[in-house]
Amino acid sequence: MTLPGNIDFDNLKPEEFEHILPDLFATGNGKVSQDPRLQKFLAANPDCAALVSDLETIAETARSLLEPVAEPSERVWQNIQAKLQEDSALASIDDDYIDPGAPLD
Amino acid sequence: MSCQGPMMTQAPPSRANPGLYPRNPPIAGEAAAIEAAQKGDPEAFATLYNLHKRRVYTLCLRMLGNVSEAEDMTQNAFLHLFRKLGSFRGESAFSTWLHRLTVNLVLMQLRKKGLSLVSLEETVSSSGDDAPRHDFGSRDPVLVGSVDRVTLQRAVAALPPGYRTVFVLHDVEGFEHNEIAAMLDCSTGNSKSQLHKARLKLRELLRNPSRLPQSPQPSGSVEFAQ
Repeated sequence: MTLPGNIDFDNLKPEEFEHILPDLFATGNGKVSQDPRLQKFLAANPDCAALVSDLETIAETARSLLEPVAEPSERVWQNIQAKLQEDSALASIDDDYIDPGAPLD
Repeated sequence: MSCQGPMMTQAPPSRANPGLYPRNPPIAGEAAAIEAAQKGDPEAFATLYNLHKRRVYTLCLRMLGNVSEAEDMTQNAFLHLFRKLGSFRGESAFSTWLHRLTVNLVLMQLRKKGLSLVSLEETVSSSGDDAPRHDFGSRDPVLVGSVDRVTLQRAVAALPPGYRTVFVLHDVEGFEHNEIAAMLDCSTGNSKSQLHKARLKLRELLRNPSRLPQSPQPSGSVEFAQ
């Protein structure tokens, strides 16, 4: 899905706007409300303007979710340590392994 | 580009927009800890765990929506990290590399559970319960100024898994559509469409915040509809 090049932004209909909206958000900086090509349309269609405003608010607020808010329980690190120690012990056994079928020096 | 597995050695973000790097700045003491951990220093690995456990766990929790699975996945991610740390060359931010590894592990888990983003996109009808409503004509008040991160977090957790995955990857983690498409083995258009539908669904959910489930609790007992 890409934005068609022959869009008549001055005579855009709401259903056409709905169709191209995902691409409008994906292009540029995602600020559809500030797109100069859409100012006339958004002014004439307040419901579409409200939708754009809401979706921009959601996207902007989502950025704040990047900050971690939760911490894993102690059990996670204990399990990691146990697993690594188990792997280390197995590796040690491998290192010490002597092939009983190997010829004696 | 095919979908890469979690065993990839380097994941330099090929984004034209370098926006992710400022979101993943180097952490004090991280470089020394990486170098020491690569030489097998267990204390250094513990330092890396402490530096990144919250980000990794939060990512898992947001994508999986389940405390128990998120903890298991966090454990899995750090075990993979321990085994693959030697292949980290510093060509991308360590946190970016670790997040890529974690995202790929989570996606593998979601695939095992039968999540198919493409089929979700193509088969959910506009009248389905999970599908966002197209309500241009509504006169509900706009959300501006009324969305806080806690409420949005609850709404994200309530999203269907396909929508949630793309939303978290793009709007929260900052991945580009072409990167998401590669990770999910779908088209860029599909990723854009999924994201748009996710945002529409969130708008719908946020208009009725009282109906949202509570955030996942540490007890591990809270699960969201899959």
